[in-house]
Amino acid sequence: MHWWRAAFKRRAAVSVGGMSVVYFQRIERTVGRCFGLLAAILLLAVLATPNQALAHAALIKAEPADGAVLAQAPAQFSLTFSEPVSPLVLTLVRPDGTPVALTSFRLDDQTVAIDNPQKLGSGTHVLSWRVISADGHPVGGSVLFSVGAPSQAPAVAEAVDLDLRSAIWTGKVLLYIGLFLGVGGAFALTWLAQGVRWGQRFVISAILCGLVAAPLSLGFQGLDALGAPLARLAQPVVWRTGLGTSFGWTVLISLAALGLGLLSLAGPRTGARPLALAGLVGVGAALAASGHASAAEPQWLTRPMVFLHGAGIAFWAGALLPLGLALNSQSAEAGAFLRRFSRTILPVVVMLAAAGIVLAIIQVQTPAALVDTAYGRLLLIKLALLVFLFTLAAVNRWRLTALAEAGATEVRRRLTRSISVEMLIVLLIFGVAAGWRFTPPPRALAIAAAQPASIHIHALKAMADIEIAPGHTGEVTASIVIMTGDFGPLDAKEVTLVLSKPDSGIEPIKRPATKPGDGTWRVDNLVIPLPGRWTARLDILVSDFEVVKIEAPIDIRAD
Amino acid sequence: MNKYLLPAAACLVLGTSAAFAHITLETQEAAVGSTYKAVLRVPHGCDGKATIAVRVQIPEGVIAVKPMPKPGWTLQVKNGKYEKSYQPYGEAVTSGVKEVDWSGGNLPDEFYDEFVFRGTLAADLPAGQKIYFPVVQECEGATTRWIEIPATGQDEDALEDPAPGLNLLPKK
Repeated sequence: MHWWRAAFKRRAAVSVGGMSVVYFQRIERTVGRCFGLLAAILLLAVLATPNQALAHAALIKAEPADGAVLAQAPAQFSLTFSEPVSPLVLTLVRPDGTPVALTSFRLDDQTVAIDNPQKLGSGTHVLSWRVISADGHPVGGSVLFSVGAPSQAPAVAEAVDLDLRSAIWTGKVLLYIGLFLGVGGAFALTWLAQGVRWGQRFVISAILCGLVAAPLSLGFQGLDALGAPLARLAQPVVWRTGLGTSFGWTVLISLAALGLGLLSLAGPRTGARPLALAGLVGVGAALAASGHASAAEPQWLTRPMVFLHGAGIAFWAGALLPLGLALNSQSAEAGAFLRRFSRTILPVVVMLAAAGIVLAIIQVQTPAALVDTAYGRLLLIKLALLVFLFTLAAVNRWRLTALAEAGATEVRRRLTRSISVEMLIVLLIFGVAAGWRFTPPPRALAIAAAQPASIHIHALKAMADIEIAPGHTGEVTASIVIMTGDFGPLDAKEVTLVLSKPDSGIEPIKRPATKPGDGTWRVDNLVIPLPGRWTARLDILVSDFEVVKIEAPIDIRAD
Repeated sequence: MNKYLLPAAACLVLGTSAAFAHITLETQEAAVGSTYKAVLRVPHGCDGKATIAVRVQIPEGVIAVKPMPKPGWTLQVKNGKYEKSYQPYGEAVTSGVKEVDWSGGNLPDEFYDEFVFRGTLAADLPAGQKIYFPVVQECEGATTRWIEIPATGQDEDALEDPAPGLNLLPKK
């Protein structure tokens, strides 16, 4: 199990010191192969992701509602989401296909109220929106409505940009290399190796790689936020937008951490250790600043856990290559390096694993989600790689001990290969983790699935808000608030909810509502058999002899 | 043969459900300014249950209403103010019957019955339009409200529980 001890044993059999050119060539080849494999895994993950539009923040109500036909153009639009969001791009596409940017909007908690600056002609319009929520991942969608009468809907593309996705993913993997292997490596060299700096060139290259990847990632994030293609990378607005998202913090803190790591190696040796430590702290902080896991509730738990997980990975993965080279070198300091590493790694790995397990439980929620969701499948791949990494050390120990007598050259060759394979696995794990950027965690999917379907009906004599929760097929509860047409209180004698779906051949579902006493009307244990567009009608008995019937379409999702 | 078939078929197509399923008035048109005898026809109970009360709301403009007592049913009226004053016989009338209730009876679903009242249609009611007499039919453990009034332009046949209506003819 303790692969570092196994490596120590291996060292005993190594007789030739120093680094060889062959060694680096091998690593380079391995890294190249690694990227190909990573890209394949990512492609699989992206293809297997069921619903890309359903990321973290979900649209729960739109005004005008999707599919609504209005007599007159509305003075304003409003979009209500499952959590507070910031609009990135709001566009109104007119029936003839010309887009109009909507720039005047107000945020009111979870609702975005947008002014309509244009006089709208008749026909079908598309309100296209793109917003970002706390996890720093943009989501988009569109709402179709018609003024006067519906017309042919203008085409609005909301396709997945694979080029941009690959760029975001590559940027993320390179950033991980910079943070974990670079800054983590600097920490290992200054705190654990102390004397000779094995693999300093590699560590510095990793940091430089991160220093290039971090700002580029910011640009890619900006493009993703705006839904813009790669060709627009040079535009300032893209970078401003990227910086405005929570990922902007990740990039800024990463740059600081990378800078500290570089200084600790390039600067005077006296101040190296505090700088490297600050860099390691920065790695944890950078990861905790954005992402699915950091945005999850409860925040007091998830952010520290992401911090510990990130710092732990940097400690462990950063030490991997310098330690391997040290053992290869056969110098006297290598033993001290290994002893210091061995003393500290166990609590670090325990902390790293514990934080990972806590986050996985929060994100995945149910064991079934491990298989059912793309996020869960990526986690399984990552776990499999980790198990492989741990067992590899154990197997090597057994085989290399047996080979110890076979000759120093042979053992050294095997040691080189072992480190290469371990590096490859670490890189694969980075690639898998970067793939999570595109897969909403089961936790978020569950939140989105539980979102109610809601509509607002406004007629001359009465208005109503109907909320069906959860907004998918199966057993649901309808909650109804009614008011008079001019926003006054409406004390109805009876309220009946009638759900019909004429195109399905199902008879209308007619259920009387009860008054739970909080001013609302409720229908419990309602079962909606089919997904799709239903018509919700309310029969409001205003007085003994007066009934008001109002209706509107409501979209029910599939379970 | 054809001479009889065609009108019979037309009858079946045009005049079916409305007359059989709903509570309706026997006479569905009357001149404004005249005295009108309203006969409410109750063809069935509520979802198979026996009718135990029939309540009818008198619309504005129908004045001096007098319901006909019915053996086995308790007759009550609710009086109230009219929206304006009427002068059917020279003297101003500002209030009168607004609602008539027959209750305490029992009309099984299998049987048919009629409920009768008489009133004067004010002379200033708009001829050519329709007025409605919303009816609440109370049964054992159920209620059907024949109270739906079509909105402007709405097809009356589309209503589930339409209120009985009366076409107003010009004054004779």
